Amino acid sequence: MSLTTNGNLSPSISAQAAPSTSKLNFDAFPGIKKSIKVTPEEIKLLSQYIYTISGIHIEPSKAYLLETRLGKLLEKEKCESYSEFYYKAKSDASKMLEKQIVDAITTNETLFFRDANPFELLKYKMIPEVVDKRSASAIPGMPIPIRIWSAACSTGQEIFSIAIVLKELLSPLSRYNIKLIGSDISDAAIRQASYGTYNKFEIERGLPRDRLLRYFSALGENWKINDEIRSMATFRKFNLMGSFNGIGKFDIIFCRNVAIYFKLEDRSKVFEKIADSLENDGYLVIGATESLTGVCPRFIPKRHLKSIFYQLK
Amino acid sequence: MQALKILVVDDDQVTRSLLKKRLSKLDYEIETADSGVEAIRMISHQYFDVVLTDLMMPGGVDGIAVLETAKENNIKTEVILITAHGSIDNAIMAMKKGATDYLQKPINLDELILRLAKIQNLKHLIKNASDLRVAMDVTEQTSGETIQHLEITVAELEERITSMRSILNRQEIAPEKRIGMALAC
Repeated sequence: MSLTTNGNLSPSISAQAAPSTSKLNFDAFPGIKKSIKVTPEEIKLLSQYIYTISGIHIEPSKAYLLETRLGKLLEKEKCESYSEFYYKAKSDASKMLEKQIVDAITTNETLFFRDANPFELLKYKMIPEVVDKRSASAIPGMPIPIRIWSAACSTGQEIFSIAIVLKELLSPLSRYNIKLIGSDISDAAIRQASYGTYNKFEIERGLPRDRLLRYFSALGENWKINDEIRSMATFRKFNLMGSFNGIGKFDIIFCRNVAIYFKLEDRSKVFEKIADSLENDGYLVIGATESLTGVCPRFIPKRHLKSIFYQLK
Repeated sequence: MQALKILVVDDDQVTRSLLKKRLSKLDYEIETADSGVEAIRMISHQYFDVVLTDLMMPGGVDGIAVLETAKENNIKTEVILITAHGSIDNAIMAMKKGATDYLQKPINLDELILRLAKIQNLKHLIKNASDLRVAMDVTEQTSGETIQHLEITVAELEERITSMRSILNRQEIAPEKRIGMALAC
């Protein structure tokens, strides 16, 4: 409270050019932030929108995810409600906000050599068999083609892990025509994968020290993948819910821990398209806790050592 | 959660005693070193959560050297540098080399205590995250084994049923014989 010039007490916070609604003008109260909540109608609206742009299915019970994942973005866009946020995203012709929403909503939980087993599988079964088969049908003197796709590669750890296994197994690399593709729906994830730079938390997980020192260089507090590994992979943005036209065929496909975010019928569609993109004698690897039973009958599971992989029937 | 283990490095005896006395009262485990040389020796023998070191020390081994040694020994060690009043450039260089924080002399004890509390909180969170991750890995591994086993079993059963069906449908074989063959699948 302060005294005005005519001697009357008046609140020291004046009613500024506030909107005519009864909303408080929070700009007048620096340091006080209202945490914006999402309403049931907004949950429906946003879940539907997110499904449309990414195929990710958010159950009504997981509404808190919307607040935790999108809250910051909403604040940055200076929206006062999730409805406003939704309409802003939908009406943005540049689709910038849409991309940022996809970046925020996708789970980028990944690590180098996640789960170890598939990489043993690569080293001891899949790559040797692919090399045998492709060299038998290759033109003498020409490099042997090997095509591997990491669908939902997130920030690149999986594809670089695959590249490292290839580098350690195949020598000289020049004898092979290696095509490693990493794709993800999140622009931000693809961007980081392209830079190949990781902070100390991302590096600590899954990478034994000798591999860290051999394939990465310290860059301040971060680590950057060496050029020889980085150059083995190409990255692109790709929505698994969309058309697979033009992606080509692969000898090995990794599609791990992404289908879990889709509805069952969408999962089937994705794996159908993956089956179409796999060579007849190719290999599919999915997440350790995932199953294709009742999802895609075109694949048959096979066991090797402690792992499981799939081939076309 | 265990108390933070802190190494106080300062060539000034009064500063060392004061810090040791005040920080021990807060249940931190305090050790002291009177020079950079001694600090490096101690760091190589035991792990410290935090190293609180003066930047400028005589004897050839300064705060930066202590910082570098501490980080090399264990990346989890947090290093706080105590800088002379006004030498911000040195402090910033230290931060770039991986120092967690810096404090200007004369040391404001309240501020130091707040910074240490923050570090303790951070380590709590990191431990929590790490525990969660371990639990998740164990869960993923066990359920993975179960699911994979079921996956293979289902595939085998589907194959058997298909074979049995096709045998039972073979009209050219006598029914009783068909049953026997189907059961042998």
